[in-house]
Formats: sequence, structure tokens, C-alpha cells
Amino acid sequence: MPYPNLPALPQPQSRPSRPPSRPGLFSALAGHFPAGYPAPTGMRRPGKPVAPPGGTSSTVTLPSVAVVALNRMAFGPRPGDIAAFNALGGTDTARLTAYVDQQLSPTSISDTDCDNRIAAATYQTLNKTATQLFQDHHLADPPTWEQRIQPALETELATWMRAVYSKRQLLESMVHFWHNHFSMYAYEFLEGPMWVQVDRDVIRANALGNFRAMLGGIARSQSMLVYLDNFINFADSGVGYSNENFARECLELHCLGATVSYGNTPRNLVPTDGNGVPLGYCQEDVQDLARALTGWTFDIDYIPGQAGTTGQFVYRNDLHSTEAKILLGTQMASGRTAQVDGNQALDILVQHPACGKFIAKKLCRRLVGDFPPQSLVDSAAALFTSQWQAPDQLKQVVRHILLSNEFRTTWGEKIKRPFEIAVSALRASSAELRFYYQIPYPPDYNTWHVDMMDTSGLHYLYEMGNQILFGWHPPNGHPDIRGAWQASSPRVACWRLVNWLVETQQANGTWRLNVIGQTPSGVRSANEIVDFWIDRIYGRALSAFDRDQLVDFMASGHNADLDLPLDTDDATQDRLRSLVALMFMSPEFLWR
Amino acid sequence: MSNCPCQITRRGFVAGCSAAIASFAGSRFNSLAFASPGTVTNDEVLVVLFLRGGQDGLHFIVPTAGNDRGFYQSLRPNLQIPAAAAQAYSLGSVTGPNGQTAFGFHPAAAPLHPLFQAGKLAIVQACGQAANERSHFDSMNWIELGTPGVDNTASGWLTRHLMTATNLPPNVLVPSMSVGGLQALSQLGSNETINLGSPSDFSLQIGPWRYQEEQRIFLRNLYEADTSWVHQAGLQALDAVDIIELYASNGYTPRPGVVYPDTWFGQNLQTIAQMIKIGVGLRVATLDLGGWDTHENEGDGAGGFFAALLGELAQGLAAFYEDLDVGTPAFTSKLTVVVMSEFGRRAYENPDRGTDHGHGNNLMVLSGNALGGLHGSWPGLAAAQLNQGDVEVTTEFRRVLSEILIRRMGNPAISTIFPGYTGYTPLGVVQGVDLPIDAQPIFSDGFESGGLSGWSSVVNG
Repeated sequence: MPYPNLPALPQPQSRPSRPPSRPGLFSALAGHFPAGYPAPTGMRRPGKPVAPPGGTSSTVTLPSVAVVALNRMAFGPRPGDIAAFNALGGTDTARLTAYVDQQLSPTSISDTDCDNRIAAATYQTLNKTATQLFQDHHLADPPTWEQRIQPALETELATWMRAVYSKRQLLESMVHFWHNHFSMYAYEFLEGPMWVQVDRDVIRANALGNFRAMLGGIARSQSMLVYLDNFINFADSGVGYSNENFARECLELHCLGATVSYGNTPRNLVPTDGNGVPLGYCQEDVQDLARALTGWTFDIDYIPGQAGTTGQFVYRNDLHSTEAKILLGTQMASGRTAQVDGNQALDILVQHPACGKFIAKKLCRRLVGDFPPQSLVDSAAALFTSQWQAPDQLKQVVRHILLSNEFRTTWGEKIKRPFEIAVSALRASSAELRFYYQIPYPPDYNTWHVDMMDTSGLHYLYEMGNQILFGWHPPNGHPDIRGAWQASSPRVACWRLVNWLVETQQANGTWRLNVIGQTPSGVRSANEIVDFWIDRIYGRALSAFDRDQLVDFMASGHNADLDLPLDTDDATQDRLRSLVALMFMSPEFLWR
Repeated sequence: MSNCPCQITRRGFVAGCSAAIASFAGSRFNSLAFASPGTVTNDEVLVVLFLRGGQDGLHFIVPTAGNDRGFYQSLRPNLQIPAAAAQAYSLGSVTGPNGQTAFGFHPAAAPLHPLFQAGKLAIVQACGQAANERSHFDSMNWIELGTPGVDNTASGWLTRHLMTATNLPPNVLVPSMSVGGLQALSQLGSNETINLGSPSDFSLQIGPWRYQEEQRIFLRNLYEADTSWVHQAGLQALDAVDIIELYASNGYTPRPGVVYPDTWFGQNLQTIAQMIKIGVGLRVATLDLGGWDTHENEGDGAGGFFAALLGELAQGLAAFYEDLDVGTPAFTSKLTVVVMSEFGRRAYENPDRGTDHGHGNNLMVLSGNALGGLHGSWPGLAAAQLNQGDVEVTTEFRRVLSEILIRRMGNPAISTIFPGYTGYTPLGVVQGVDLPIDAQPIFSDGFESGGLSGWSSVVNG
């Protein structure tokens, strides 16, 4: 429950000017369904396979490179994005290369609109130093729960804002990826106060930089030190360390992957490659990594000898295990400091071939497809490993993947997860949302600012899709494979969310998704309206069947070539809003 | 092009509405409504509760007397539950390699004690999997897929149970649910499982009110337009919404006096109780309670983090059982709840007053048909009896699950549900009839053709 003190909205509110929702024909007691709609059939029924046959759609066709790129290295096109992409060159290769290189230099992209929106959102914590965060949100006498989680909450809100409005879409996509790679549950006692630090100084600072630098930043971040307990991992007279939690997950989830875990196999029996390097890690490696990281902690008063006034990271040699260690076959001499031991250990992990393969596979899975070709994974992994010290290592690896033939020719192997559904819908519709909370929360619901009500409403509906940002409890992160996201809970949650979005209004009464205002004045027949919004939302043609369905819905029995009273008739306007929601609910909108 | 909605031709729409509704109305009151005459049907409900994070079994079911109490005190000088505190919730004693060992509940599990005394709770000690891995994610994947050591199995063990069960009616409204969070891995690949949070939030009565119903008609048309996996998955979701809105969207009131924990876990238990009571054919349900990864400050018997979580678990299970202990016959007479975790924790405490990842653990079965008491072979806590410092595994988890599948669910297709598992004999945790193991897998569709690639492992590795 990531927002423990936030009053739950009973239901996102319809605006007062609108009639209350009438008891629908689908209500629990009704015995009627609309004509043409079937009565509920059993989830098990004759002729229906108990498990799906799988396979891919016969109708999935590869769209333009612009659509591929804007949906897989960005959170979907905003109006004008596809045209801008296509203006970047004379060939697909030229356009894609130009776009990728532009996006790989985010600071060269002017982002004034997004910056202004974030400034106007009046977040209070995003520019605080780590020590300020510690003092204001952990020490302050004592902070309320709202104050504690404020840095996490504001980071989350800013993340939404940037995903929707920033032009630096690849950076945002990679920030999203790396947060999930180093996944933590942010809405906790110390993770919450320090969350701005990990987001700004570790993930964003290195998302297109160097993996070893990011890993080091993660290992030293107060949030991770607490989340996986390394802040209390000290030399113990018995075994030389006191907590192996971070060490295990660092090997399994951050660097090498469970596929190269040899469990409790004795170290000398783990198979090696031609160079004598073990193919993977075993329990003894977990323990020696834990020993190497003893004394990596921070200034908090639970730690003996710390005043707990600054929260700054410290190497505590007096709490460090000085015995000799062996990690992945490499000898680590005895008698060394916490700083030397721990950093050498992380160097060893990053240079191991399994690290490159693990990270490259996850990047390919994110950027290309759920089951990326091994050749691409291997070449990206080789680059990752050979460039492990390069400041732009990750930029090189990502560029390699994005400019591969596989990137531009793969489509329909992934579906959008809830975050991508929500953000791409907001982008396609040029939505106006300020992700905003008043902290402390006004006690009376009636005094909430409309932006806070809508942020809360969006959260309420979005959460049911099970992809809450910084809200996944275990350290493995949200799954990035379609099998995990095609169940009914995330699907229905997203259907609900887009229907709610088309109905919400800003303080001045204008619609947040102003679909009426954005429909050009010359576009008034059902055919014209549907074609305009197909281009806007999908950026590509639909099948004739799908298009006909949308036209039928919009025309509602009228001649689809005749103008509809979109400017004057409330019901027609509602129908268009419902049409846009239907397009966001459609299967075609889910493909990546 | 001027179709009005009522003229739309829907693929696959065959049944007349009124007849279909009439037949389904009956299902609200009798989950066997769809049984063909003469068919032997099974209407047992299996609920699988997964305790995510690795529950500390030694902190839950505590040695209170005997030589193992002494070993326990040495292993856990700061973390031990006082013998008298646990003895107040005595579970009896077992004979192990170190003689008689008496056990009792951690005091926070008090709400479960009356159920134990009434014989409704079977506890298998030192249960788990031989695969010697202390990873949360591998361990969970292997258990839920039902294939220890193999994590690319294309379906979950409960999915394969539902696929192979020959004693279920041909029509069932809601045979399977995964409540809260994403669909459980044990139901991976199941095409008939409803995955939802709360029924009242599982509705499409949202958006412009005039067109909610029409929109749903067209939504169905769009998802019926193709047979890709995304289209099929969408249709499952739409079918699920139609059912839940019709039968379960009006909220739920437990039996008078029954108090569930006011948490997501409590809510999810109530959702399952509701679905059982309204008689929509539920056979399998899964839910989770997470937070058991207690590497530090676990707390001793007086309180702390573990005690609070265990209290939530115990109160929830007791409320669930009591809530369903009504009806003629009582719903509990058809109910079996399995409570399991990915592994136990290390037998010795760490210096942070917590415990690291371990091995063997308790598996609990709560059922109106339980053979109550302590089961399994207790391996002892002397140093040489531990596995890398952890409680040894003496009972394979698949042995217990197989017994429940055979004796309660009447499904002996063990070789399909747990491929590679051999040597099954019942341990005796539930009452029921022992059926010969069916060595011939029954495939109801092209499952073995490998067409499940889109549903394969959700592991990030």
C-alpha cells in the first residue's frame, strides 16, 4: 500500500454538471443485456481451450520505423512527432540514426515546456542535497509520514510529468528501465526520504553513462543500503560478515543473473571457461561479496560511532572484514580497507562476461522484444564488457541495439505495460495534467485542489494495473515480458483508466483530454473523425474491419460521410470521447 | 455504412440471450448447475496462499521442549520465542533424531490454535524442495511452476491441474481466480483464470455514461477480430468483467462476528469467500501475503515486525474459515487451503537479529477435511542435521500437493501436473480416496505442441 495516509477516493468523480451514472444494463440485478451483446459465458466452456494456443496475430504488420522507434525507445508519439521523425532524413536508416543520436544527447534537446511544467508543479524536494533530504525528511522532529515519503512521491510525480511531456524520451525510457533494474520499494521509512538522491544522482546521472558508476552509486545510496540491509553488514567475529542480503541480490539481480547461479555448489566445482574464470557464482561468492562490502554504511544513529546528523555515506574500516576473499575466482588480498575491497569486488562483477550478457539481454528485451535474437544479445554484451570503463558505455550499447536490424524489423512481440499505456494515451491526446499533491494533504476532501483530485484519481485507477512506480516490493522489479501483463487485472485497470481520463476536467472547466477541441474544424463526419484519430493515436492504418467498427461506433446509424453536430451537441461530444477511449482500449493500441 | 449496434454481426455469438441468462441464473445457487447428467463432478475448492519472502518457520512453529529446544536456543540467542509463550499454544510433540520435541505457535498465531485443536490444521514440517537454492525468485518460480530446478516451464501447476481434471463440468463461470497483484505463476498460461483486485473495481461502468454499453459491444468486436494472443487475452478480460459485474459487484458482508484484517490480504480473502458463497463454480484460487524477508530486526515473541505479519496471517485465515463454516453442507466441507512459502530461513540468527535465506519450512493445510496435527519427518536442529545451516527438507512439497489433488480434487494426473515427479505416496494430511496415479497425460488441446511461447516464464533473468 504505497500511499498509506492518502484517503482513498471511493470512485473517481463525475463532474457535477454531468448526469449521475444511471444503473447500467450491466448492473448486478439486471436480467437484460443490450441487443447484440451476449450473456456472460463461463470462463470454462465447451470448445474453448483451457490454455491459449499462443502464436502471433496474422494481422500484425510492421509499421513505419517512426512508429517502431517512438513506441519502443519512447513512450509513444505526441502530435507532430512522427512527422518530425520523418523529416530527419531521406531513408529509414538516416532518419533512425539521426533520431537515435539526437536522443542519445539529451542535454542537446531543448526541453523548455517540460521544465516549465515541472517548475509550475511546485515540488519542494527535487533540488535538495542528500543531507538536506536526510535532515528534513528523516531527522526533523519527527517527520510525519507524509513528510517522510514526500521525496519519493514527488519523484514519482515528476517521473510521470517527464514521461508525458519531456522531449528527452530515450533518457526517460532508460531511467524507467534502470529504476526497474535496481528496483526498490520507495515508500518506506528511509527509502522515502532519500529517494530524490537515488533518482537524481544515481539513476538519471548514469542512465546513458557507465554501468559500473551506476552500480557503485546504488551500492552507496542510502535507499539501497537500507532496502537490502547492507548498512548493517559488519565484520562479525564468526563468519566475517553479518548480512548477505545485498550481496546475494547484487549477484543475482543486479549483475550476473540467476541463470549463472550454482547455488551451494562448492567453489572449486563451479565450471570455468577457457580462461579459468568460473561460469557463475555460488554461495561462497555471495558470502565473500558480503564480506567485501562490510563497512559500507552511512551516517545514521543506529550505527555505532555515527552521530546520525548528515546521512552521508561512509566507509567504516573498523567494521570491515579484513580477511582475504575470493570472488568469481579472483583473489582479494587480506588487510585492505572497505573502500578498496568493495570497489574491487564491484569491478570484478562488472567485468565478468555473465554481467554483459545479463544486462544486454534485459536491454534487448526492453527495446526489441521479449525473446530477442541471441546474436544481438551477444554483440551488445561484448560491447558492454569491452567498454566497461568507458564513460559512455551504456550510450554505446543502447545505440548498438537501436541501430540493429532487429530493432527496426521487430513489432508485435511486446505489449505495453500499464505505465506505457497510460503515458502513451496522455501523449497521443496532448493531455493537460499537472501531477500534483498538496503536502500536507488537506484533511477535508472537499478542499482538495482539482489537480490533486485528478492525480489521486489517476493513481487510484492506475494502481490496479499493478505497475506502481517505485512500488514493487521484491527487489526483482516489474516483469518485462508479455506473459506477466496479459491477465485480466492489468487489462481491465487500463480500460477503466482511459475511460476516466476522457471525462476529467481542469479547474477552468476545460477537458484534460480535449478531444473535441483538438479535432480540426473541417473534420466532422464519422469517417473523417475516425481517420483523424486513427492517425493521431496509432500513427498507422488499421485493418478495414477495425476501422469500420470505429466508424460504426461514431456514426451510430447515421451516414458516415455526413457531418456530425460535434460543435453543438453534448451527446455527440460524449460519443467522440468514448470513441477515443475505445481506441485506447483496443488491441492495436497495445502492441509495441 | 450505417449499422446500428443491434444489427452488428458478432463472430462467435451463437446462443440466444434469454436462454443463456436463464441457464446462468441457476448457477448463482448451485455450482453444479452445469454438470451433465451422469457426470461425476468434483466441487472442491483449493485455495493456495503464498507467503512471499521466505517465512521463518522456526519463528512460527517453535520448539518448546526437548533437546531441539536447546539447539534452538543456541542458534537463536536473541531471537528465540520463550518456551512458555509458545507452549501456551501447544501443537503436541514429535519424535526426531534428538528424541521428543514439543512445538507451539508463536503467540501471534493464537487465532489459529482453536483450528489446530479442532483438527482442521495439518502442518507438514521440514517441507520444501531438494533443489538447493537460496534465491527467492528461483525458489518461487520452481514451486509455482511445479518443476523444481526448471524455470522455463510454460504453465503453472494449477493450470495443469485444471487442464487435466476430467471431473469438472463443461461449463463453469469462474473456475479459477488469482486475487490481488498479477496473475500467480502457478496459474501461468491459464486461459480461464480471472485475475482481479477487488470485484467492485472490476467494472466497465466508467467513462461517458451514455455510451458505456455500446462501447463494450464494439470493444468485444475489436477483440474478436483476430486470434492473436493479445486478442485472446483481451477477450478473457472482457468475459471476466461481464461475469464479475453481473454476479459480484454489489459488495460483500461476511458472517456476523467474523472480523477480517483491515488490509489488502483481508480484502483478498473476503473476495475469495464471496466468490465461493455465490456459487459461480470456483475451484482454484490464489493469493499472496508478502513481507516475510526478515533479514533484520525480526522481533521476538513480544512483538515486532514478524509478530504483526503473523498476526495478520492468523487472523485472516481464522476469519476466512469461520466465514465459510456455514451452509448445508458447510462451505468448509469442500475447502482446502494450502499455505506455503518459497523456503524457510536460516536456523541461526544473523547479527542483525534477523535470519537469512534458508531451506526446509512448514507447509500448512487448513481444511474441513484435514487430518490435523504435525506431519512429516522432523530432521532435528543439531549442527550436523542442518543443511548448510538450515532446516533440512524431509518432505517434497509436490508430495503434499499431489495428495490434495488426488484426495480432494479427485485428479490423479500427477505425471502431467508435476512432470518428473516420481515415487508418490500419500503423507496423510487430508481425508479422501486414493486413486491410482494416471500415467497417461490428458491433453485437452495442443498444450504439448509448445504453442505457449507467449506465456512462458515471466522471469527477468
